[in-house]
Amino acid sequence: MVESQCAEPSGNEDQILVRELCANGACMKADEVEAKLDAGNIQEAESSIREGLSLSLEEARALIGRLEYQRGNIEGALGVYDGIDLQAATERLQSLADNNAARKNRPRDSPTSGSQHAASLVLEAIYLKSKSLQKLGRSYDAAQECKSVLDATEKIFQQGISDVQVDNRLQDTVSQAVELLPELWKQAGYYPEAISAYRRALLSQWNLDNDCCARIQKAFAVFLLHSGVEAASPSLTSQVEGSYVPKNNLEEAVLLLLILVRKYSLGKTKWDPSVMEHLSFALSICNQTCVLGKELEETLPGVLHRVERWNTLALCYSGAGQNRVALNLLRKSLHKHERPDHVVALLLAAKICSEDSHLAAEGVEYAQRAATVKAQGSGADDEQNLKGVAVHVLGLCLAKQAKASSSDFERSRLQAEALKSLEIAASLEPSNPDLVFDLGVQHAEQRNLSVALRYAKKYIDATGGSMSKGWRLLALILSAQQRFSEAAVVTDAALDETAKWEQGPLLRLKAKLKVAQSLPSEAIETYSYLLALIQAQRKSFGPVISVSQAEDDKVNEYEVWHGLADLYSRLSQWKDVEVCLGKARELKKYSPELLQTEGMMLEARGELQAALCSYVCGHLMEPTYVPGIILVAALLSKRESEASKPVARSILTDALRLEPTNRKAWYYLGIVHRDDGRTADAADCFQAASMLDESDPIESFTSIY
Amino acid sequence: MSDSSPDAAASTSSSATGVVPSHSPSSSLSKIQASIQTLSAIVPSIPPSLLTSENPALYLLHDPDVSATISSLLRRPDSGSGDNNLCRWLYDTFQSTDPQLQLVVVRFLPVIAGSYLSRAASSGLRAGKTLAGFEAVLLALYAHETTARDGNSVTINIPDISHPSIYHESKIPPSKNNATVLNIAVMSPALEPHGTVRSTRRGRIVGVALELYYSRISQMPKDSKMEFCEFSEKWAGISRPKSSGSDGKAREEGEGGGGRIPLPWEVMQPALRILGHCIMGPSKDVQLYDAACGACRSFHARALQDMDAKAILATGSLLRVAEMSVDPKNNVDHTEIKFTESITV
Repeated sequence: MVESQCAEPSGNEDQILVRELCANGACMKADEVEAKLDAGNIQEAESSIREGLSLSLEEARALIGRLEYQRGNIEGALGVYDGIDLQAATERLQSLADNNAARKNRPRDSPTSGSQHAASLVLEAIYLKSKSLQKLGRSYDAAQECKSVLDATEKIFQQGISDVQVDNRLQDTVSQAVELLPELWKQAGYYPEAISAYRRALLSQWNLDNDCCARIQKAFAVFLLHSGVEAASPSLTSQVEGSYVPKNNLEEAVLLLLILVRKYSLGKTKWDPSVMEHLSFALSICNQTCVLGKELEETLPGVLHRVERWNTLALCYSGAGQNRVALNLLRKSLHKHERPDHVVALLLAAKICSEDSHLAAEGVEYAQRAATVKAQGSGADDEQNLKGVAVHVLGLCLAKQAKASSSDFERSRLQAEALKSLEIAASLEPSNPDLVFDLGVQHAEQRNLSVALRYAKKYIDATGGSMSKGWRLLALILSAQQRFSEAAVVTDAALDETAKWEQGPLLRLKAKLKVAQSLPSEAIETYSYLLALIQAQRKSFGPVISVSQAEDDKVNEYEVWHGLADLYSRLSQWKDVEVCLGKARELKKYSPELLQTEGMMLEARGELQAALCSYVCGHLMEPTYVPGIILVAALLSKRESEASKPVARSILTDALRLEPTNRKAWYYLGIVHRDDGRTADAADCFQAASMLDESDPIESFTSIY
Repeated sequence: MSDSSPDAAASTSSSATGVVPSHSPSSSLSKIQASIQTLSAIVPSIPPSLLTSENPALYLLHDPDVSATISSLLRRPDSGSGDNNLCRWLYDTFQSTDPQLQLVVVRFLPVIAGSYLSRAASSGLRAGKTLAGFEAVLLALYAHETTARDGNSVTINIPDISHPSIYHESKIPPSKNNATVLNIAVMSPALEPHGTVRSTRRGRIVGVALELYYSRISQMPKDSKMEFCEFSEKWAGISRPKSSGSDGKAREEGEGGGGRIPLPWEVMQPALRILGHCIMGPSKDVQLYDAACGACRSFHARALQDMDAKAILATGSLLRVAEMSVDPKNNVDHTEIKFTESITV
């Protein structure tokens, strides 16, 4: 951004000494004149110039003014310019222009070259007066002078300036004045005037060159973005019908920045990295990182390094919720031939992987690399910070990987490592409550419920109860401990702390708790309230995406219908179950949970073959879902046919491999052994089942995320 | 926790920005004087000249000493309770609906929001009672903003620049197919009225108050913005160990982590806009620039901790822009004339 305040004072950059003064084909040495000026003999200097170069008094003064200005004697220059009646000079020029226009009566005519010369001289003098005032810190007066340059120009060139009409010197002065005026208003603190000066610069015809225009557009965009002064909409006169008119600062800034980026793509201006950064700030502030991504994709090759571009694009897509796209980009940038050790890219990739158990192993590798790599170009603080993040994400990835592992041994190893990583991360970032939360979830998943409970409480305290997920974790842990009434108290407290629209997940929890407490009518009541909430939400929000916490709090209508179906099946109200299942199936066609509920209904009605079909289908859709496996096994073990017994035994063993602490699995395995006559084995299994506590939460801990 | 010592930064002189509201009519002048009289009972150091000044509200807004005193009172550990006189005064003053007096209240938002969120996060649920005074003021600001925008969401259009706009160079009227496709971005979702602060809405209520602050930011004195930068640092909670020999536990008690709060986007977004103003705003001030850059760096580190992609982008860009803006090679003055060896007429 051009800030004249920051610019060097003219004395330093003035390396070029004025050697001579020229006019009308004659030249004279500058130092002679300077000597007279230094001695204070301004009039003598004037007259010697007039004689030597055959100039008028005004011309001579303009020359001296410029000489003084260029020598850095700003006050001297100002004194000289004050001596010229610039007002009268511009008026003369204007009347000349008027006469010209009147005489020829041709609107597109411009002043003749002679009058242009005079105009150039006068306008330059006023411009330098304005610059002098600026340098003396009199921004307001400077702005007034600068404005008069533009006013006069507009009067002289009533149809705007076009390329062929003016000489270079005049054009330079006009362009500089156009660029200077808004800066002066800004320095003087007159922001509304600055905005109209910017608009005047950009919406009138000044015949600015591309670079100058781009600079003004950028400066205006920055001003609109950061000044905090709300600009009124551009005036109607500047609007072409049908063209887009921004209605506030941010829109106008984004429009200007987008145009600037486009100008570069068309080769009209040179690349300015700060334009893209400003655009990136503006668009991420308004949640439009996908638009930013599009712009980055369209930048010409050779401007941004490809790795940089991939990484920024990945952030854009991840910010817009398209994590898969982001991950693919990161895989490219982290390839061993690119920049495999870029810490932020590694961390983002690991974080994305940590959300999917099938990607978790890949994430572990990224996180490990990030934890060992030394962050380039950052201080020790940042390094410490990034290391903590890396270990944290490593823990999350390991925990997720544990879920997908096929052997019990492998799983417990991964779980232990996950906990260890999270604990190391917590020691690196002692004040980060997210780690407390993740530790709570991990302990809960591993059924260290009392430890988990402590972490959940600590998390709620550390966040002042402001995070809904903390409340839900606490309630789920209590439910896993079979302390349903306490869980209900927590849920109610959380509902109290939550605004109506965000109550969805808590209400679902509450309904399930009521089911667990065998209070079916209250559960139904809660479910119907939840359903009404969802429908109202859909009506009032429509398709507009909300950015607040509400986004992840939206409860699927499907889950409500499934919950109700489950509830009715417990009550053996099969007609109702069927209705609810139908509703749920409309929303989600292929769902293992629905098939299981349907299976239970069929089983209860005695249609065992059909029930088995449903169970098996559900099992095939989600082979690692243990309750589903147990349903199949339980049904098989009840059948008379001898052939089904070994099948039941084998899949129960599968279930126990996945979840060795599952009480039901042990129980049914015991039954199979008993029916087969292996009494000792059966006794072992029953004993295992009796020793295990029921420790499942009412809904999975992962539902919190 | 936030200490009660007066902030050194707040004692420096304030710089008034150019936007100066015109004088208020006499009816509101008496209102302002009454309000200041009430204040002088709470803040004894108010100079008597304030009452007789031509524009007492503006004077109050920009007086560094009075502001520093009020700020330090608000930083006291017991300051935010429901029976706190100063909070009551701020609440009543804001409700007076006099725009000038309201500015004075908004000026203290950084301290109020800063102390409030940090305390609410560290003292957990027990904070409820002791912070009711702060909450009342914040709810008043929230309600003001809710009414001002009629509860509606704030959206902006992202233009498709393949369609003409006022800033396009070719002023060719658009073709028949002028169904300009606009991306609508929600800057701030719809607001519902809140009578109390529910803890899960705390961030949103403060966020909306910060949006209000941002809309008045060009009228805010520098000290107020400095206070915001200071609390932003605390909010980010990035521990920066001074010595290398620290072993985790020692730092836990240190000031590094004190004041860290959850930073959802609803707080982050307005906070970043405010920092953007402090860094890139038209009134360049080195001290403010440095403070805001520091806060922005902390937010960036925090965004990396939270792996919040949007915040990483925004803070990263802001930091790079800040760096470029002070780079001398980007500060060539193009409005300077060409200096030549020979001057011709």
